[in-house]
Amino acid sequence: MTKNKIAARIFAFFAAALLLLFFSNDFGLIDIQKTSIVTAIGIDAGENGTLDITAQIAVPESGSNAKAGNVSVRGAQTVGEAIAELNLKTGWYPTLVHCRLILLGMKTAENNVFRALDYFLRSQFVEDYCLVAVCDGRAEDALGAQSPVGDITYAAIEKVLSSEAQKTGLVSVNNLREFAKSYYAPGNSGFLPLLSIKKEAEDGSQNQPAQENSSQSADQTQNTGSDVFDASSTVLFSQGRAVGRLDAEQTLAFNLAGTDTDFAYGDISVTETGQTVTNNLKTKVTKKTQHVTDEAGVPVLRFTIRARAQVADASRPGSAEEVARSAVTPPHVLRAAETKLQNRLDSVFRTAQASGCDLFAVRQTLQRFHPALFEKLGDSALSLAKPVYNILFDTLH
Amino acid sequence: MKDLSVRQICFLFAAVLPVTRMLVYPATLAFRAGHDLVLSALVNYAAEGAVIFLLALLAKKTDTTFFGLLQQKLGTLAARIVYMIFALYFAFSAVLPILEQHGFVLQVLYENVPSFLSFVPFFAVCLYACTKGLRSIGRAADLAFPVFLVCFPVLMFMALPESRLSALLPVGGTGMQTILRGGTESLSWFGTAPYMLFFLGNFRPERKSTAKIISAYAVGAAAGMLFLALFYGIFADTAILQQNALAHISKYATSSTSLGRVDLYFVFALALVLLFALCIPLQMSTFCAAQAIGCPPIFPALAVNAALLAVTSIFHQSYLEIQTFMTQTVWYVFALFSLVLPVSAWLLKIPARGKRAPKGVRLDKK
Repeated sequence: MTKNKIAARIFAFFAAALLLLFFSNDFGLIDIQKTSIVTAIGIDAGENGTLDITAQIAVPESGSNAKAGNVSVRGAQTVGEAIAELNLKTGWYPTLVHCRLILLGMKTAENNVFRALDYFLRSQFVEDYCLVAVCDGRAEDALGAQSPVGDITYAAIEKVLSSEAQKTGLVSVNNLREFAKSYYAPGNSGFLPLLSIKKEAEDGSQNQPAQENSSQSADQTQNTGSDVFDASSTVLFSQGRAVGRLDAEQTLAFNLAGTDTDFAYGDISVTETGQTVTNNLKTKVTKKTQHVTDEAGVPVLRFTIRARAQVADASRPGSAEEVARSAVTPPHVLRAAETKLQNRLDSVFRTAQASGCDLFAVRQTLQRFHPALFEKLGDSALSLAKPVYNILFDTLH
Repeated sequence: MKDLSVRQICFLFAAVLPVTRMLVYPATLAFRAGHDLVLSALVNYAAEGAVIFLLALLAKKTDTTFFGLLQQKLGTLAARIVYMIFALYFAFSAVLPILEQHGFVLQVLYENVPSFLSFVPFFAVCLYACTKGLRSIGRAADLAFPVFLVCFPVLMFMALPESRLSALLPVGGTGMQTILRGGTESLSWFGTAPYMLFFLGNFRPERKSTAKIISAYAVGAAAGMLFLALFYGIFADTAILQQNALAHISKYATSSTSLGRVDLYFVFALALVLLFALCIPLQMSTFCAAQAIGCPPIFPALAVNAALLAVTSIFHQSYLEIQTFMTQTVWYVFALFSLVLPVSAWLLKIPARGKRAPKGVRLDKK
């Protein structure tokens, strides 16, 4: 082998090695001492149309004692400006790659929330599967809450908004991508879970919350008790603004009909021998579809739901035989469950329709499957839509 | 011994070149053609496939290189001029993919932005590949095919559950004009048909080689359109926001697992396939320039890589402007060089089979 060939191969080897380093991000190692890992962002309406941004920053430590601190920037015109100011105020360069939660204060949701959220859509450095929720109050307060089980706040909220919570129908979980998709779709609508904080106990936990609150705002105070989070209600959006609200039962009905929920518990009251008996039903949804049909120029939204239910508990003591036969749900309980779900679902539809929120994507479905009717009806498609329900419950074996 | 085999050409069209259309192309196409992006892509694939079919057919009719055909018909000087023009075209066509790849790696794999110098080793690798001629393209295709065969289906499998294909409805709803405009503005991603022109005489046509090549191209096209369909099914009206689609399409499958972004292993592997694909236009440019000038490939290779390094260092912050220029202003250059000129090779006088025309300088002979 000639010297030239050997030199060429050595050259190629080193070039390839350097290139591999480039592709594997070895030039991108970051100085952890100078970088703040933002795990959650809270966005509140400030004074004079400005934004107050709170970033929850994880502080990596050895062992399992993870800590987090909150840093707030007030009076920013844009989220981007606030993020830059975080760097200015703290000397830390905030990285948003690990941001998994965006909380919107209730006042923020009164205006178009995409004024703030589109920052996260523009940035290639924020994952769009981060969870989004509205706070019943200020997002800053929610991020300053204390979890009773020692989690840092964003982790505790993330658990409340987890996919497991979604599967049981208790919470209508949404992420940035899905919320943005529904906003930019023809319906310009969407939904977000409503996160409220409930004081559980004053100094009630033996576990010390691993949370530092180092907010720059002077009036920020440390919580002494522990808080629990509730996200059983849902906020409806139209044109990016909050326009309505679903309560816990409506949220469950919406989840059973329209989201990934396939297993849920709910109470059904029936009259038995002159007494009102409440049965706690374990329900498994086996089929759910929504179709929009064109019936004489009227969009008809057809819900089809098939579910299997089993009595998990009842408000009166059952005989040994009844307990033994709990796998077989009495027909009158099943019919009552069908009626209740239909009524709740109808109230969800009416609430959304009245508020102008195209919660069941009627306009988008019309655009895709009945474009002529969509063109003809325009903005009035939602208000003209009529629901039809086909709900059947059977015994869960 | 020929430099390329039919198998390698098939691998190139089925596995290497489709990956180049999985970064910025889907979002760009969604911006122009909306939910009809697959139809728009179909127009491009059909046009490019037709050109490749005609060139594969031409390869069956002649054993002569394109240079030889030009020489016979128009003379040596004209052949050299045509080759030099194509050398410039290939170098020009490499600008956008290089900037695209540069941005892809920085945005997907890096949390901060490293110096541009980090990207310079690409040109060193490319320089080495350029001096090795067409044979190295074939070997790269051999290496890339199994990587594609494993990684692409895995990523599609991860993307499938999140995709709602009803987002593609109503088919054709955006109108023919929009679909065709999407096609014309995507031509910069469909500049691969001329490769086949320069493969003429450098591979030995086998029995049913035309069918094999066009079938391989169809497989690559199907993979590309499947990617587009799943991409739009996932992002729908927000698809235009998703630059670097390859890195985004599968991430939702892993977002809820404790393993994190395992899909990035497969994305990383495909990024290396992209690297091979990225070298090809520069290799072709070197090949053509060396033929035109009649010199060893190292000199044009140095010139081409240095020029591209300079262009990339100047414009690496201006991807959007370059993309707009390439797709909306000079789209006809790509139409001319990737569709019209290759087909016009049929107009050259075809010598009788077995009668070899004199060849230009062979770059890849040891």
